[in-house]
Amino acid sequence: MSGVSKAYGSTVALDDVSLDLLPGQVHGLMGENGAGKSTLMKILAGVVHPDSGEICKCAQPIRLNTPRQALESGISTVFQELSLLPNLSVAENMFLGKEPTSLLRGLNRRQMEALTAKALAELDIKLDPTTLVSRLNVAQQQFVEIARGISANADVVILDEPTAALNAADVGVLKRHIQRLKEDGKAIVYISHRMEEIFEICDVVTVLKDGRKVDSKPITELTPTSLIAMMVGRDLGDLFPARATGKSVKPALKLENLRLAPTSDPINIEINAGEIVALAGLEGQGQRDIVRSIVGNHSAHSGHLTINGQKLAMPISEVSGVRKLQGLGVGFVPEDRKHEGLFLGMSIEHNLAIAMQSARLTFARKGNFYTKVADMVSRMAIKSGSLTQDVGALSGGNQQKVLLGRYLLLGSSILLIEEPTRGVDVGAKLEIYRLLREFVQQGGAVLVLSRETIELIGLSDRMYVIHDQRVVREMRSVDATEHDIVDAALNASRNIEHKDKELSHAA
Amino acid sequence: MLRDNTLRMLLTGQNSRHGMWLLPLLMTALVVIWIAIRQPTFLTSQNFQNLIAQAVPLVVVSLGQLIVVLIGGLDLSVGAVMSLTTVILASGAPSYVVIPGVFFAAALIGWANGMAIARLNVHPIIATLSTASVVQGIALLVRPVAGGEIPSVVTQLVSGQPLGIPMAVVWVAVAAALGWKIIHSSRFGLHLFSVGGGAEVARSYGIQVERTIVTAYMLSAIFAAAAGVFIAGRVVSGDPNIGALFSIESITSVALGGVQLAGGIGGVAGALTGSVFLALLANCMNLENVSAFIQTAIKGLILLAVVALQPRKNIGL
Repeated sequence: MSGVSKAYGSTVALDDVSLDLLPGQVHGLMGENGAGKSTLMKILAGVVHPDSGEICKCAQPIRLNTPRQALESGISTVFQELSLLPNLSVAENMFLGKEPTSLLRGLNRRQMEALTAKALAELDIKLDPTTLVSRLNVAQQQFVEIARGISANADVVILDEPTAALNAADVGVLKRHIQRLKEDGKAIVYISHRMEEIFEICDVVTVLKDGRKVDSKPITELTPTSLIAMMVGRDLGDLFPARATGKSVKPALKLENLRLAPTSDPINIEINAGEIVALAGLEGQGQRDIVRSIVGNHSAHSGHLTINGQKLAMPISEVSGVRKLQGLGVGFVPEDRKHEGLFLGMSIEHNLAIAMQSARLTFARKGNFYTKVADMVSRMAIKSGSLTQDVGALSGGNQQKVLLGRYLLLGSSILLIEEPTRGVDVGAKLEIYRLLREFVQQGGAVLVLSRETIELIGLSDRMYVIHDQRVVREMRSVDATEHDIVDAALNASRNIEHKDKELSHAA
Repeated sequence: MLRDNTLRMLLTGQNSRHGMWLLPLLMTALVVIWIAIRQPTFLTSQNFQNLIAQAVPLVVVSLGQLIVVLIGGLDLSVGAVMSLTTVILASGAPSYVVIPGVFFAAALIGWANGMAIARLNVHPIIATLSTASVVQGIALLVRPVAGGEIPSVVTQLVSGQPLGIPMAVVWVAVAAALGWKIIHSSRFGLHLFSVGGGAEVARSYGIQVERTIVTAYMLSAIFAAAAGVFIAGRVVSGDPNIGALFSIESITSVALGGVQLAGGIGGVAGALTGSVFLALLANCMNLENVSAFIQTAIKGLILLAVVALQPRKNIGL
């Protein structure tokens, strides 16, 4: 593929990226969160259409308008998110869209099941092909997906973090299989955050950053250190307001022995008044679940939560959690402002005042917060015609400000913010950073997570690096670098893999 | 312990994508035993023939409804399609015109439903309610009150007894076999389940989701037309209001049969037991002289109880 670009609104996800996939070669694709890997893969899978650029196979330009066209063009994708249908059996999931039929008897279940059993046996998995997928655990589902992707007999096989849910022994099986595909002359794209795997499996590595291709290099020319350097390496601009100098020791929010799952390690996190604390690390390592378990949106297994001196047992109730925490002064600003945060079809005033309204008695007269709302709009410099304008018509940055303003108006003392600047232009970013800094200077506390590591470092005072649902390192943001974070996360996973291996050897 | 579990799984349909159909079957058996003890006339072959003949329209229309429910849809126009079918059959035109005609009309109505839902993104309730209204209007326009004559071919199709087997039995058998073939033994059937399980995922597997939806609504309307043919042959006239209750009743019987209204879970066994149970219950209550008003109330309570008992309200649980 060459010169492929894709933008979502004003956010450029991919900018003029070219990639050469050769038969019999494993092509590693690396990059930080939000670097554009997923978008690139979705384009190849026919799920997303590029704005420009072309994709050629054997020097012939091909069109990938639908997933079906991609499959017919010989490109098979194993997605990172599990995409099996829970109400179908393993065999049906394997063959959906290309079911074998016989003239007289219609759907040939027996053949489907026999072929599935064979494909699963090749991957060393013992699974009854007639089992419903909803009965399988995550690793088994992942293997079914892999088996599906491989058995499609495509020329190009894309594996998007296939090992995320697998243990060391299963990874070994997968590696052997990739080797076989390679010998069969297939081109393989391999996306992974695990350094070891990249160096063991891949022949060539391409690094993406901020939607651009940094470089493609044969693996022999790379070392783990130089690879990390390619992935990060960007200067911190003057985007961020100065940090507070004074040191506060007044704890605002404290998480003790939080376990996200029965088997995960306990997490301890403390946020003091006057500081911005970030949860960093690679994507999907549990940062989001930690934040959401505070408001009951994610059901944690156990733990304790202390807010301004008041202790609560976790898990927090999903039904009343957000409301209860709001009463304690905790505002939760969700990542997906369009679906989870704002009422797009309603006015700015309504969106800002809704939290204050809901704090009143159920059938109390609707409060008049007009002056307060107008105050907040001018304080936050929300650009709009009038307060009655629909929020949906505002730009991303102004929408985000409205969402933040809702909790500032409520007088929250602690803000939990996911992705404070997603889909927001640079100017609005600066203002949001400034608002958050002002908020903590007045005694507030902020817990933030973001896919943009650079933002986390610049914005926060302290960071917890999360990996595999545990805190692997705590660091001060002043002297932290992206490199430190990626390093802390990747080294943590490497250590775990070693431990896994030792265990499996011992067994 | 193990047997205990197997029994529970069978009862709740936990491990099957056919849903919870065994419980309604057991309930049906209970009703049969109850009524057989109370009313000796129940076990006469005459009553059985009556019973089956009464059940046929609901069984057939429920199988069509099932197809639509499996993709997470709903078809409120089946009743109107049945009414229109009887009206067309009684129009006086020759049988070789009206019989293909009713199925063609049904296919067209189903196609309109499917297009409105799949292409125009109208909610299934609104889309089928609108077509129901239009179709009902047309039926009333053609024949404001019941009357007319049904071609003799149709009455023979319904009340004949080839080889001593009552036609009603043949109808149930053929409809069930056809439903089974379509839903459980064809590629299309698998696509129904996959669209019901997750339309976006199904799309990423290369399934033509829109086409599946349109076909499902067309089949539902065609099954409804078949039910209409049977009912016309039984009452031997065209009646623009005869289908009125069937839209709701077919949804009731599908839900009773353990089919998930969210889509993706259910099967022919469930739709059959659900509709047979409803028909039996009505027959039983008639024999017991229960007033028609109390009958509706009892039906409602049973529906609520059975659906509330279903352990999984969502796919995958």
